[in-house]
Formats: sequence, C-alpha cells, structure tokens
Amino acid sequence: ADEGGPRGRRVLVLVDDLAVRSSHSAFFASLQGRGFDLDFRLADDPKLSLHRYGQYLYDGLVLFAPSTPRFGGSVDQNSILEFIDAGHDMILAADSSASDLIRGIATECGVDFDEDPEAMVIDHINYAATDAEGDHTLIAGDDLIQSDVILGSKKIEAPVLFRGIGHAVNPSNSLVLKVLSASPSAYSANPKSKLASPPSLTGSAISLVSVMQARNNARVLISGSLDLFSNRFLKSGVQKAGSKIRHEKAGNEQFVTETSKWVFHERGHLKAVNVKHNKVGETNEPGMYRINDDLEYSVEIYEWSGTSWKPYVADDVQVQFYMMSPYVLKTLSTDKKGVFSTSFKVPDVYGVFQFKVEYQRLGYTGLSLSKQIPVRPYRHNEYERFITSAYPYYAASFSTMGAFFIFSFVYLYHK
Amino acid sequence: MPRATSDAKLLIQSLGKAYAATPTNLKIIDLYVVFAVATALIQVVYMGIVGSFPFNSFLSGVLSCIGTAVLAVCLRIQVNKDNKEFKDLPPERAFADFVLCNLVLHLVIMNFLG
Repeated sequence: ADEGGPRGRRVLVLVDDLAVRSSHSAFFASLQGRGFDLDFRLADDPKLSLHRYGQYLYDGLVLFAPSTPRFGGSVDQNSILEFIDAGHDMILAADSSASDLIRGIATECGVDFDEDPEAMVIDHINYAATDAEGDHTLIAGDDLIQSDVILGSKKIEAPVLFRGIGHAVNPSNSLVLKVLSASPSAYSANPKSKLASPPSLTGSAISLVSVMQARNNARVLISGSLDLFSNRFLKSGVQKAGSKIRHEKAGNEQFVTETSKWVFHERGHLKAVNVKHNKVGETNEPGMYRINDDLEYSVEIYEWSGTSWKPYVADDVQVQFYMMSPYVLKTLSTDKKGVFSTSFKVPDVYGVFQFKVEYQRLGYTGLSLSKQIPVRPYRHNEYERFITSAYPYYAASFSTMGAFFIFSFVYLYHK
Repeated sequence: MPRATSDAKLLIQSLGKAYAATPTNLKIIDLYVVFAVATALIQVVYMGIVGSFPFNSFLSGVLSCIGTAVLAVCLRIQVNKDNKEFKDLPPERAFADFVLCNLVLHLVIMNFLG
C-alpha cells in the first residue's frame, strides 16, 4: 500500500459570524488534530473563491453559514455544486434561520428542509431532560444508522443532542441516507405558535442528519442543526426524558468526529489495484483465452484508514465474466491481506468478454473495474483426433472398405 | 392358424428354391449387400444408445455402408443376365464403374470421418 491518501487536506470553512469559530472550536480542533488545514472565511467575504486558474483551492468544504443569503466573491450555489461534482466533500449545517441559498444547496443534494421558515423539530417524548421546561426542541436522538463504516466501529452509547430543523430525504434519490432519524413521536412545526394544521413532516420520516455519497464518490453531510457541532453540545451531559441513565457526555463529540472522518474520506474509501488474471498453472497474463480454459483472477483491494492503506476484508466481492450479461458470477475469496482471488472455467462461448467487479456497499466508495479479454474457439488442430465414442463408426468405415476389397477379389475369381 | 403358417412355409420354400437358381456372382453381391445394411443398422442402434455426439463420424460410418449397398445393387442390376436393359453393357465395364465409384465414395468418407 502506498502512502498518498484519497483526498487532500485543505478545507474551507465558511461561517456567517466568526464567533462560530470559537463556539465550535472543539470540532475544528478535532479536524486540525487529524491533519486538516482549515481556512476560516466569512461567507460574504468579497474575495471568496473556490478555484484559481482552473484549479480548486480546497479539497473539502464546511458550510457553517446557515443564514447567509448569498456568498461573497465568485461563489454561488452553482459553484458549490460544481465543487461537489468535481469530487469534493462538504459538511453543511443549517438551523432555523436557514436561507434559501442553503436550502437550495441541500435540495440539490437530495434533502428537502421543512419549507416553513419558523418550523423546528419538536419531540414531546424523546427530548433532553434539561429541556423539560422548554418547548421540547432540544432532542436527544438515538436512532442512528446501522453502519460501522459511517459511524465507526465503536457504538455511540449516549444520545446525540439536536436543536434545529428537520428535513425529508428525497425518495427518488437512492444516494442519500438518513444517519440520524427523528423518533416516531417527533414532528416539525413552529414551537411558538399553536398547531393549526397537521404538520407536514412527522415521525421517523424526519431526518435530522443525512449523508449523500454521489456517484463520483463525493460525500456530503447535511445536518439540520448547527448546534450539533457546537462546543456546548459536545461537552454537555445528556439525559433523555423519562430515562434514568445520565450520560456524562452527549454522543455528539463521537458522532461529529466519526461522521466527519467518513465525509472527508478517512474511512470507507476503497481502491483496487493489481488486477491480474492468468491460466491455471501459468503466471503471465495472456492476451486471449480459449473456450473452456481454466483461469485465475485476482485483485487487491485496500481501504484508506486515514493514515495508511489497510487490506480490505469482506466476503462479498464478486467478479463477473461478462459479455452482454454475466456468464460467470463468482464470489472472490480473500487472504485477509488485501488479495481477492478466484478461479473458474471460461464458458463454452467465444467473443469479447470483460472481467467486471461492481462493488457498491453502503458507506463505501464504489468500485467499478472492467478489463476486456477476447475468448476464441478451439483452433482446428485443437480438437481431439480420435474420439472414443466414435470408434464403432471408424470400425464400420474400415470394415466396409475391407469388405469391398474382399468382395472384389471373390467376385473376380470365383468359378 | 395352421393354414396361414403352412402358406408362409410354402412361400419361403418356393422363394428359397427360386433363389437357389440365381447365379453365384449375384449371390456374392447379395451377401455383400446384406453385410453392408447390417453394419449400417448396428451403427444406427449404437447412435441411439450413445447419442449423436461425433455426428460427422456417425454420418460417414452409416453413409459408407449405405453407399456401398447402393453401389453393389447397381452392379447387380447391370451384371444380371435376365436384365435386358443392360444387355449391351459388358460385365467388365460394369465392374470397373463399380470400383471407380467405390474409390470416390471411400475418399469422401475418409475425409468426413475425423
């Protein structure tokens, strides 16, 4: 495994008030502690630019400017989306003051914030006990996605504190995942006024934090709460209403650390190298196979751990031997050192095939490998010369020939 | 059914008597034809049991027998003294034709067998 990581470490942090830099310093410190080079800018800084001379200046973006009506400099909604389309990552946090600009960016990422600008997520059952007297908008969320790759292998025990707006995940967008869902008793409404009509967003359809991994492996995290990342929530204790267990620290710190690791490709980024194939018993790669050859296929897959490429271990990586449709579909076995291999027989069909690995797993970057290989039929002299089951036919042919000879003899010389 | 059996017996007897009068050279040809047809039948039965995999071998094996039988029957027609149609054709010429046709037949069979 070589040393270079999949992503650079220059991150632009856009805030609408430099006070966020100190109120969220613990989160920023954890990013800086992992080697990220943070560039703090006001969102309306007139010199703001994401690229210069056609090159992007940053590898990631933290958008902690929920109320910004428009960005300064050359940055606008489209340039942010182009930044993501170019394969860069983003963390976006909104709150109840979210501007149309922020909502628009979120919508483009497959997430729709509640359209009511006054609405917040309210939960009269799963609120944090410290909010008992308030309007129950401080939510202790514990409905997390079951994914070790997004949330880390260590389980987040304490509930995650959340105060902000809810969003719905666009059902036609299969790339968006709800990481932190609201409980079934939650709803999204204006906490200051009486409910006049049923809220449009209710129950676990509300997502509090979502992630999106685009097809180019760009990752985006969208949170309806900027406070989720704040020092106050990271450091405070939490007790869920109605629960006896009091946690000394909310789950926020672990949650934001682990999800930001995922977003900035410190986890769950796969790379495949050294795709090899050869005939069984040989080592060099042929330019062509013959039908019914036995072949071996191997590929090395590594996962970026944040500091180095570690062997990826899984038992569900499959290779296809593909021509219009897969003729062979085999699960690769791994030696736990990163090498995935299998062997199979080339089908009795000739043509131009491909070795294909299409590996899409929740939370991991997708692997899509294909390698073209022609398969030829037997050459004329590669068929068996004598076939055992045809011996009676050979015998019959030769016996008629012999019989012809004997017959001619007898016919000519009989008296 | 004593009547029918005895009829059949009579029929076969008269057939055998008439056949005994056939010249020896025609009898030799008949034996040759019977051998060829029997060999062809054995191959067809064998193909029914084993399957038609080397189909070209099967075809050449069977066709060599059938071809041999057909050529032998043609020879028999031409050398038969009772057959007035070929009374101008000398039997030597008929036999030479037969040999030539057999050579061509077996050349084709050898090519198609493997």
